[in-house]
Amino acid sequence: MTAVATAPPRARRRFTGSVGLLALPIAAWLVFFFIVPFGLILWYSFGEKPSLYVTHSNDVLSLARYVEALDPAFLTTFWRTTQIAIVGTALCLLIGFPIAYWMAVKLSPRARGIVLALVLVPYWTNFLVRTIGWQITLSPEGFLSDFLNGIGVLNGPLQVLYTQQAVQLGVVYNYLPLMILPLYVALERMDHRLLEASRDLGGNWWSSFWRVTIPLALPGIMSGLLLVFVPLMGDYITPSVLGGASGSMVGQMVAGQFQRAQNWALGSAMAICLMLAILLVVILFGVLFKLIGVALARFRHLGDLDRAGAIS
Amino acid sequence: MTTTVDRPTERAAETRDEPVARKHRTPLGDVVLGIWGVAGLLFLFFPVLVIVAYSFNTGRQLQSWDGFGLDSYANAFNNPTIVATIQVSLMAAAGSAVVSTILGSFAGVALARRGGRWAVWLVALLGLAMVTPEIVNAVSLLPWFVTLGADWGLSIFNLGQVRLVIAHSLFACAVVTFIVRARMAGLNESLEEAAADLGAPPVQRFWTITFPLMRPAVISGALLSFTLSLDNTVLSSFVSVAGSTPWPVYVFASLRSTLRPEIAAMSTVMLLLTLAVLALVAIVLSRASRKTGDGSGLAQTLAGG
Repeated sequence: MTAVATAPPRARRRFTGSVGLLALPIAAWLVFFFIVPFGLILWYSFGEKPSLYVTHSNDVLSLARYVEALDPAFLTTFWRTTQIAIVGTALCLLIGFPIAYWMAVKLSPRARGIVLALVLVPYWTNFLVRTIGWQITLSPEGFLSDFLNGIGVLNGPLQVLYTQQAVQLGVVYNYLPLMILPLYVALERMDHRLLEASRDLGGNWWSSFWRVTIPLALPGIMSGLLLVFVPLMGDYITPSVLGGASGSMVGQMVAGQFQRAQNWALGSAMAICLMLAILLVVILFGVLFKLIGVALARFRHLGDLDRAGAIS
Repeated sequence: MTTTVDRPTERAAETRDEPVARKHRTPLGDVVLGIWGVAGLLFLFFPVLVIVAYSFNTGRQLQSWDGFGLDSYANAFNNPTIVATIQVSLMAAAGSAVVSTILGSFAGVALARRGGRWAVWLVALLGLAMVTPEIVNAVSLLPWFVTLGADWGLSIFNLGQVRLVIAHSLFACAVVTFIVRARMAGLNESLEEAAADLGAPPVQRFWTITFPLMRPAVISGALLSFTLSLDNTVLSSFVSVAGSTPWPVYVFASLRSTLRPEIAAMSTVMLLLTLAVLALVAIVLSRASRKTGDGSGLAQTLAGG
């Protein structure tokens, strides 16, 4: 009996001991092609562009590129980027939550699978091509412009393309699936009987929503916000296709330094600033959510006390 | 005694009442929610449908509709530049799929079978690779490839195809890892243990037991890496070298001049290819979950669950 009981763990240990090593190649790959390159631009950001034909030099180390990066033009674009990203993330949540809720709670399991596939299809369509679809739609000589003129809503060509509003629409569209998917997963995992219980116990729609649905969906909301906000801050395609001069974002400025100006030192400093800003906002969001969580718990606790007091 | 008798009847009365009450109360909310959901789906499909519709435009400019016809498809397939970019894209996608699948499958097995302190770090590294804005990856890979290729004399890193495969694999190998991990975590180790008890050496155990179990995840991971690589624009436009321009970079570059209907036509063809691949993924995953009764769905995996 003891032999039977002890044999499997020993065998498993022997097997899994070597299994751990299987993670080494990917770790080496990511360190060599992801971490080290990032370290390289971090190093370049302390250097300079010595002459017209040289992209970078680290002979003199200074923080001068960061000072240069944070000039008014960059800060204006940076502020616009942050604005677009925060408004875009919030809109994705507001638009995406009811969709995810509808999919996870209201649909039958069979319909759920089909609708999920329908959400995934545009998501897997080429990002650039989808954005060009909006460019066609919003262009002054496009069909939407003609249609709006035809029904008399608009007088003259549609003037939305190459503005900040066009970029805002584009990013909400492009990142909406990244919000819907984690929300859907969280809401689908939720035990629906909890909602019924809440209703049976006298909770109205509003209180069940705030005290059952939202707390259970919170992990999904948080990963959705992260998945939308972080890539949105660094978006380069959407503003290039829809933004023009008045709707440009930081990603384009970073790209410009590497592709046109050939100033790798300054471009690196801009990229590092972008990463730091994203990190800062994510940390702020994290703290904010922790506070909301504490407040929700407090609120719930107070509510319970209140009810207890009312009963006694 | 009376209470125990009473309570069931009370509850029965409630449950009998409830559906009626709910039927009265919910329709409006449900209808609004349903309309919102359907409108959301239409919103998501809208620009895709626009592209497909405009691929039949016979005009010279994509934005201004001229007439309906298949000219743009013929023009696209007769344009040697476009065909060359498609070839570059398909080859890079295949290469990236191979690299990401090998790296990701190993890592997925390792994570599912053996946690530990390093696992947290690996997951953090993979997560970081997935969430870092592409533009930052792109601008850091470009100088690194130049350093490796020009300064250190490793000429393999001057090849456009090699650069594309490496760049595309960074995100894709993380996706494959999470898919394989989700699959392996849903299966218990008893079969492997049984094989071990019966004296099978580790390598044989892997090929006869472990690999067949993880095969659906490996196949879908490979197919997803393939489509991810086909779609990649930002990384490609930084690391690709003249002579090996992939399709999305060609499209992106032609935005600066004029967009012609050929672009929409070839994009529609590529969309159909992506859809076919996705359908394969769905079939492989659903067959696998039906066989083992494990429902680690695609959305769950994609959402990082």
